[in-house]
Amino acid sequence: MSATTAAIPDDMQNVSGYMAEAMSPNEEPFREPLILGNPSMHDVSRKIIDIIEGKVTGKYLATLAVTATLAIWGIICTGYTIVTGIGVWGLNNPVAWGWDITDFVFWIGIGHAGTLISAILFLFRQKWRTAINRSAEAMTIFAVICALLMVLMHTGRPWFAYWLFPYPNQMLMWINFRSPLVWDVFAVNTYFTVSLLFWFTGLVPDFATARNMVKNSVAKKIYHFFSLGWTGSTRHWHIYELAYLIFAAISTPLVLSVHSVVSFDFATSVIPGWHTTIFPPYFVAGAIFSGFAMVMTLLIIAREILNLKDFITLKHLDNMSKIILATGMMVGYAYSMELFIAWYSKNTYEWATFYNRLTGDYAWAYWTMVSCNVISPQIFWFKKMRRTIPVMFIMSIFVNIGMWFERFTIIATSLHHDYLPSSWGYYSPTWVEISIFIGTFGIFLTLFLLFAKFVPMIAIAEIKGVMPNAQPHHHEESH
Amino acid sequence: MPSSVPSRKNYFKSSEIFLNPNAIKNTNGGEFESLPMNDEKSLFDNGVSRRSFMAVLSGSMALVAASCRRPDHKLVPYVKSVEYQIPGIPNYYTTVFQHKNAAHGLLIRSSDGHPTKIDGNDLHPISKGKSSAFAQATLVNLYDPDRMNRAKINGGDSTVNNALSHIKGAVLSSIQDGKSVRILIDEHCSPTFSKLISEIEGKFPLIKFVVLPSVFADGSAEAMLKTTGYDGEILPNLSLANTIVSVDNDFLGTDKFAVYHTANFSQNRKPEAGKAVMNMLIAAESTLTLTGANADKRMLLSPAETDAFVLGILKEIIAAKGSALIGSDVESAVANVQTTPNSQFAAKELLKAGDKAIVMVGAHRSVAANAAAYAINTLLGSIGSGKIIDPNAAIPNSNCKYPAVKELREELKAGKIGAVIFANTNPEYTADRELNNLLKKTPNRFSWSLYKDETASIASVYIPTTHYIETWGDAIAPGGIVSIQQPIIAPVNPTSQSVQELCLNLAKLLDETFLPEITGYYDYLRANYKSNFPDKQSWEKTLSDGIIAGLPASVSVNLSHSSAGLAQALGMKEEMKFDGLIGCVSLSYSLGDGYYSNNSWLLELADPITKMTWDNVAVMNSATAVLSNVKQGDIIAVAGNHGSVEVPAYILPGMADGVVGLALGFGRTSSGNVANGVGDSAYKLFGANESIGYYPIKVEKTGKISVLAATQNHNTIDDDREIIKETTLAELAANTENSSGIIELPISLVDNYTYKGHRWAMTIDLSACTGCNACVIACQSENNIPNVGKKDTANGREMHWLRMDRYFSRTSEGEESVEVSFQPMFCQHCENAPCENVCPVAATTHSPEGLNEMTYNRCVGTKYCLNNCPYKVRRFNWFNYHKHDAEPSNLLYNPDVTMRMRGVMEKCTFCVQRINHAKFHAKDQGRSQVVDGEVVTACQQACPASAIYFGNINDKTSKVVESRKTVRGYRVLEELNVRPSVTYLEKVRNREAKSEMSVHHG
Repeated sequence: MSATTAAIPDDMQNVSGYMAEAMSPNEEPFREPLILGNPSMHDVSRKIIDIIEGKVTGKYLATLAVTATLAIWGIICTGYTIVTGIGVWGLNNPVAWGWDITDFVFWIGIGHAGTLISAILFLFRQKWRTAINRSAEAMTIFAVICALLMVLMHTGRPWFAYWLFPYPNQMLMWINFRSPLVWDVFAVNTYFTVSLLFWFTGLVPDFATARNMVKNSVAKKIYHFFSLGWTGSTRHWHIYELAYLIFAAISTPLVLSVHSVVSFDFATSVIPGWHTTIFPPYFVAGAIFSGFAMVMTLLIIAREILNLKDFITLKHLDNMSKIILATGMMVGYAYSMELFIAWYSKNTYEWATFYNRLTGDYAWAYWTMVSCNVISPQIFWFKKMRRTIPVMFIMSIFVNIGMWFERFTIIATSLHHDYLPSSWGYYSPTWVEISIFIGTFGIFLTLFLLFAKFVPMIAIAEIKGVMPNAQPHHHEESH
Repeated sequence: MPSSVPSRKNYFKSSEIFLNPNAIKNTNGGEFESLPMNDEKSLFDNGVSRRSFMAVLSGSMALVAASCRRPDHKLVPYVKSVEYQIPGIPNYYTTVFQHKNAAHGLLIRSSDGHPTKIDGNDLHPISKGKSSAFAQATLVNLYDPDRMNRAKINGGDSTVNNALSHIKGAVLSSIQDGKSVRILIDEHCSPTFSKLISEIEGKFPLIKFVVLPSVFADGSAEAMLKTTGYDGEILPNLSLANTIVSVDNDFLGTDKFAVYHTANFSQNRKPEAGKAVMNMLIAAESTLTLTGANADKRMLLSPAETDAFVLGILKEIIAAKGSALIGSDVESAVANVQTTPNSQFAAKELLKAGDKAIVMVGAHRSVAANAAAYAINTLLGSIGSGKIIDPNAAIPNSNCKYPAVKELREELKAGKIGAVIFANTNPEYTADRELNNLLKKTPNRFSWSLYKDETASIASVYIPTTHYIETWGDAIAPGGIVSIQQPIIAPVNPTSQSVQELCLNLAKLLDETFLPEITGYYDYLRANYKSNFPDKQSWEKTLSDGIIAGLPASVSVNLSHSSAGLAQALGMKEEMKFDGLIGCVSLSYSLGDGYYSNNSWLLELADPITKMTWDNVAVMNSATAVLSNVKQGDIIAVAGNHGSVEVPAYILPGMADGVVGLALGFGRTSSGNVANGVGDSAYKLFGANESIGYYPIKVEKTGKISVLAATQNHNTIDDDREIIKETTLAELAANTENSSGIIELPISLVDNYTYKGHRWAMTIDLSACTGCNACVIACQSENNIPNVGKKDTANGREMHWLRMDRYFSRTSEGEESVEVSFQPMFCQHCENAPCENVCPVAATTHSPEGLNEMTYNRCVGTKYCLNNCPYKVRRFNWFNYHKHDAEPSNLLYNPDVTMRMRGVMEKCTFCVQRINHAKFHAKDQGRSQVVDGEVVTACQQACPASAIYFGNINDKTSKVVESRKTVRGYRVLEELNVRPSVTYLEKVRNREAKSEMSVHHG
């Protein structure tokens, strides 16, 4: 099979028909180009495959060493927790969820931008997504892996965590479908599976390109395996695009459902500060907000390190900044509405909880959240700021911090002062749970670095579709 | 063979055997015969093929490699059953706990031969079936692995016999030198031991027993002695009292008879709308005690004002009643006393109640105050047969303890003592430094003690003694009821002997002619009661009942006072002139005097007032703290005239200005791994002839800060959450509503579940509850609840299924005028439980009988249920807390309750094991329903206040249904529609006006 496909010039193979049709050449002059430098299609392939083929740089190795160390340290701390008990964390009686579930919700939230970019923006024909969707999707998968680790580890007996799945067993026990945690299991696993398949589907043509272009025979074999016998035939393209479209359609509701379901963990409870109907949209907005911030952080680094400035342009970053601004205001609205309703409801417990958030032991967390999530993104009203890399980078970090604190505020401050003052307490993390959280960053970044090195990190096929060359044009026009 | 026993049914394993009974003979007859295989061919049936040979060969080699079989050991079957012992069914035995000189009748559950739970004996007049947290927790000490299991001579291991002959030698040589031998014993109330003591003292004139209490409180007995000539105290019966004025008398807290007092006091604290009657407690004190916390009117006095306060009441009473009953000498003695609004108020209330009123002054306070109380009670008419203070209820061995110890001091100083034996006394820890130094100068020092304690370390010979549950003895209670103390288990440490046994054996060693017919203390005890119980049957009946019916030994005292003596006693006021801060040293609520301190149950039991565990604290109000420049948790050095202690500061409202409270019982250095180094010992503040009371102190910051392991933190809430509800008697009387006891459920979209059969529910009467913590330990003991240690308690990980919540409310009378309310809080077994629907694996579910059940095996440990519990009563096992239980402490646990591993959630089960026992029992008797009162939860059984009702609310005649038919009933957080099964009854304070509630807790 590879013999036949090898005959087709690699740069001709992957011109995406469907995507090319989606383009309207009339828009061209009014829009900023999505790819800078006007490269030829071969150049595009070469440049992206070169990341895979090129020599491993010292900078890359050093970064990998650091992230892998963090990941291993996190895994060691995870093992320590499993062996000793989650008592090594700082959780206690009123606050039985702390950093663990905060981290879980944080990572699930991070994942959302990937799905949004790959599915919803695809359906809305947002062409600018092509340069960033691959890495955003990869980020989704890695973030969900981290989230799954956190949710597994937070149980007292993780070796029995499989009981959360409905499977026939000798105990004749079925799971409790009334529990939002069961909904979580379904939501997150569906999300992970769909995201993985969607990502892989998009990768098939690019794996074929890699298969064709890499010199190393082992690598060639591996890419050959993953390219599933892709020949670039019209029939392949037809099936591929149909599949891609269907996946996009399946993934779209997931963007809304996963974080809505995660928010049900809190919204369906009876604890003041959790028991709120605003949570599903608020969580979804927050997830997209934090996800885009994380995409921004990673891509700003990647375009610097991997020299992808032509593909990931300021226009992309500008668009993402706008989304951050919009979703940031949505969460800001949610914060104020929560507060208003708590006051307006005249519910003693509800108001006490929110008053405690503003002024209590964890007020610092609340105000960190408000400053990072609501106040600081306002800077993106200015176009200049949306195009200044350092500003965007710092902002994206701020948003990530702010969104982590949002979850912490919701989880810990609601729990530490609930109904009976006699049971009130204070929670602070131990070095173990901090290490595990840092470890998840290590795992996330390590996987991302490996991804950047071994997988075409920009959708080659798709990006060719948004190049001027892919549009109908006269032969006289330069390639 | 089946054929030889025709009546027996034949059971067969497979149809093969059924069809062909001979087939069984063809098998190889091994124990585990394999069922016939499908091919029905043995491997070698048709000769050995090459393939099958290789298969068998390789299989054998694999087996040889894989199976390192353990050597065979024959199991010894349980063929000889113990009489009365059915495996799995616990037996109950009575015994008696001598808490100093207070006899406390106990009923002990013995599971498969080892005691697993202590409760009160309901036939005993003092315990009335109830028990204190302290008495229950002594079970831990029984199985304490830190108890020394060898006798020691000069630090080396020895046998008891060698050790005793060593002591004998020293005693003999002392006697030959003409020097005396003193045996220092603790307070006790055993008539047989008293008899043995007098026999030994009679036989050996130079040997004398001296009672050396850890804590002296002679004020009351001395006042009695001066006034009436009777050297001792009388136990008041508070069930007869309508008005109680308690002056620095913590009769509900640290008192030895607190269980008895609580039962009698709380009995009259359950008013209803129809019959709004209850007693009134007026407490005047300087520190916040449990008694003050339960008072209807609490008066904060500085320690120096106490005498004047009581004398002021006396003056008022004399003014109203005349002095005819007590003589005119007394009138002149109080002539110069200034009355205050407080004493006028107290006098007014006392006079209202007439002979149903009593003034109780702390036994550690001045003779004058105690004598004044006697005079007041005499004038009120509350002393006399059948009255509150009944001369028949004299407390045994309650005489003044100082004189004997003073004499000992003199003898020691004079060098008259040749040898001293510390018999379950620990002066190195409890006594003042002067006495310690004197004792250390004695040439021969021997220690007989439960633990190798501080005093054992200064003794040349140490012999371990038995725990009271392992010991034969007897005890007499006020009123003359005698109980036999029977051992429930053979000594866990076989080398240990009781102090009585050791005394007897030593005497017999010293002189063979001493009681030649007696071989052991049991013989001696039995002989002492021979006339009462000549035969085995009556003796066993006595042991089974736990009290000796029809044997009220005469303990009646003649209380005829002399006016002159009374007047003289009234002059014996305390010298209290303080320039600076005042240290108030009292017994610890949890640890008492510290004898049983090596006890994790007690150390982790939150102090009812401060909620502190695992530490001693210097308690002071915020004004005192500001004055001393001290903050909460600062470790401060509290220096008295004789020593200093380092403890963290704890800021508590309700303390008198300038008073710093310290508890005894902490700071053990040679007790065991649990208690050593926990807190600091306030005994160090005592000088010669000083004990609990008030001393001038200085406070200095050390610069160190302690993490306070309190189970409740300081938080102020200003909102209107109605968790504790309080009312006043006046309001209750004005209430004309009626309650059917039926709880109106809100409209629901789905049908409410109907409970057929049983439906369990509980009622807690907050008005009767005094916050004594007995239920907390009862629950811990019954349900195998682990302790978590100081660090985890500080982090809010205490495991108690039942916690005692404490709330403060301020009255309008000023900053320090606080009121305290207690609320036992545990799983409310909600009908609509928020924990149940969130568990992903259905590990917590609702039973058809209304219980919220926890299936530990199924629990994965998501902790979601805990988060979603509005009461936060679920407890998570953060670690494997039971993993490090050393033998024999594993015998402590109730075999009917599962031990929980780490990673699972647990909580109150309403003692489901007891419910099931009762249900099985009912089923055995052919009943489908349990009779009311058949199920008694552990907390209910222990509660001295009888504030807990439990039962089946489908049984409309049950007590628990009855208890809900009151306007006082409410359910905590009812508004969440979780429908708790626990009903709380509002706390009622006996007063006119509505209390101003601004609740906070701290």
